[in-house]
Amino acid sequence: MPATFTSFYFLCFYAVSLLIYYIIPGKMQWGFLLFVSGAFYLLTGNGILILYPIAAALIAYVSLRVMAGTEDVKKRRFALFFAVVLLVGSLAVLKYVNFGINTVNGIAALWGKGWDIVNPVRFLAPLGISFYTLSILGYIVDVYNKIAEPQNNFFKLTLYGMYFPSILSGPILRYREDGEQFFVPHPFDYRQVTFGMQRMVWGFFKILVISERMNLVVNTVYDNYTQYPGTYIWFATICFAFQLYTNFSGSMDIALGMSQSFGIYLPENFENPFFSKNISEYWRRWHITLGVWMKEYVFYPLLRTGAFTSLGKKMRRKFGKKRGKQFSTFLAMFILWFMVGIWHGGDWKFVIGSGLLHWFYIVSGELLTPFFQKGMEKFHINPKGRWVDIFRMFRTFFLVNIGFVFFRAASAMDAWKMLKGAVSVWNPWVLADGSLFSLGLDVIETVIALVSLLILWTISRLQKNGSVRERIEKKKLPVRFVIWYALLFYIILLGYYGPGYSAAEFIYQGF
Amino acid sequence: MTREEVFATLNEVFQDVFDDESITVNEETTADDIEDWDSLEHINLIAAVEQEFGMKFTMGQVVTMKNVGEMADIIMSQIAD
Repeated sequence: MPATFTSFYFLCFYAVSLLIYYIIPGKMQWGFLLFVSGAFYLLTGNGILILYPIAAALIAYVSLRVMAGTEDVKKRRFALFFAVVLLVGSLAVLKYVNFGINTVNGIAALWGKGWDIVNPVRFLAPLGISFYTLSILGYIVDVYNKIAEPQNNFFKLTLYGMYFPSILSGPILRYREDGEQFFVPHPFDYRQVTFGMQRMVWGFFKILVISERMNLVVNTVYDNYTQYPGTYIWFATICFAFQLYTNFSGSMDIALGMSQSFGIYLPENFENPFFSKNISEYWRRWHITLGVWMKEYVFYPLLRTGAFTSLGKKMRRKFGKKRGKQFSTFLAMFILWFMVGIWHGGDWKFVIGSGLLHWFYIVSGELLTPFFQKGMEKFHINPKGRWVDIFRMFRTFFLVNIGFVFFRAASAMDAWKMLKGAVSVWNPWVLADGSLFSLGLDVIETVIALVSLLILWTISRLQKNGSVRERIEKKKLPVRFVIWYALLFYIILLGYYGPGYSAAEFIYQGF
Repeated sequence: MTREEVFATLNEVFQDVFDDESITVNEETTADDIEDWDSLEHINLIAAVEQEFGMKFTMGQVVTMKNVGEMADIIMSQIAD
């Protein structure tokens, strides 16, 4: 079974699991979910690698047991330290050793050495390691900080780490909010199950109809960017923004919908991020659980360390209250964004495109805001006006797209060359002369893509005023019937299943 | 210190940190009510409150505090000791 939610076998697997889940007694449900999650891990071909998440749960178990048994600060701190070192250490070894090696080789190449001075190592990273490691780490820190209760059942901890709807690409869980619901009985609730399935259908629409179509255009241009300069690069990058968004948020719709059908509510990861008016807001609406995790477990603790506190004081004496304060915040943010970037993968393209570039945006925004405000006052522009907001949305979307060039390009160097190619060739007429139809989507396919994006946009606007599913629920039966079956047939008829029907791998699951 | 006095002092700290004389906080004030109170300023605010009252918030309190009322509860419980 391929490790995707959109394979036919996975849907059969899900259907059988759901059926058994509601037949067995409520007390056995969590045990069954653990069994199903383990089976899923093995069936996706991870074999022996299943020992990694089990080991992570065991580390958490030992650490939590120690913390539960003592009030001694030293012992608690040691238990925390032990878990952090082992969990972060295994993540670092499995995912980032080659990042270091490749960087060393890259620097050597700059000095004219034509060979690799260190050979890259081959590791098989277990499925979902970046997600379950953060979920488990956050929980251990919360217990250390005494804002979560230590779980004393090893198997329950393993389920929390390996729960199959969230193992592929998140969301990152928070035990103190999401944990306990895993272990209580969930009687069958028709509305909950249908709502969950409806959300899954919406996720399939995003992935199979939109994301997979965008993928064709993106691949054509990104794999041959020297042949497709200028406007082609801009166009393909915007397509990639929608590809990535529909792929990642669609896989979240499936994960959260599936989980809802089991009676377990996972945290939301997206809130229409492309409507954001600045970069900080964008990161509060895109991959929300990662942003919250980094804020709580990296950014805040870092700023509360003695080193940062005294640095802040020193800078305040030297540069005054405002500038001094900014200095230590910006430094902590640099570390934060480096980590957000490298979390996406051990490659400079991620460190820059999903990390430091955004640090640069936010810092520039903070420093330039007073000038923007003065400028707007001078030209009598109302900063809360509708058109100013629309301008800000486009500006934010544009800035985010620069980051996406790095994200999608083969390497940071390719991204740089593509950006140069994008600004150095002036060919906007390709938008009108039909050239775009040669990138992988012909006229009809392009119309389907545009109509589907329009549907996505309409629903996203409607979501601003609360749940769309609830509003559909209030309609009369024939209307509901038509809406859901129309969407289902739309997906079945127009979904792009790719060669050989092994659909859509999630872009985020490699992380 | 009475609760009223704690809030009076908190008002001054908030006005100073966010550089805005018009800010007044009450039990229900949250980060959503004050425009500049975002994650970048949160720790600065916490540090300023700690310095003013001569107390320390734990990391758990820093991340779970929901409104200024809860902040005042923690301050009261600590300075009473």
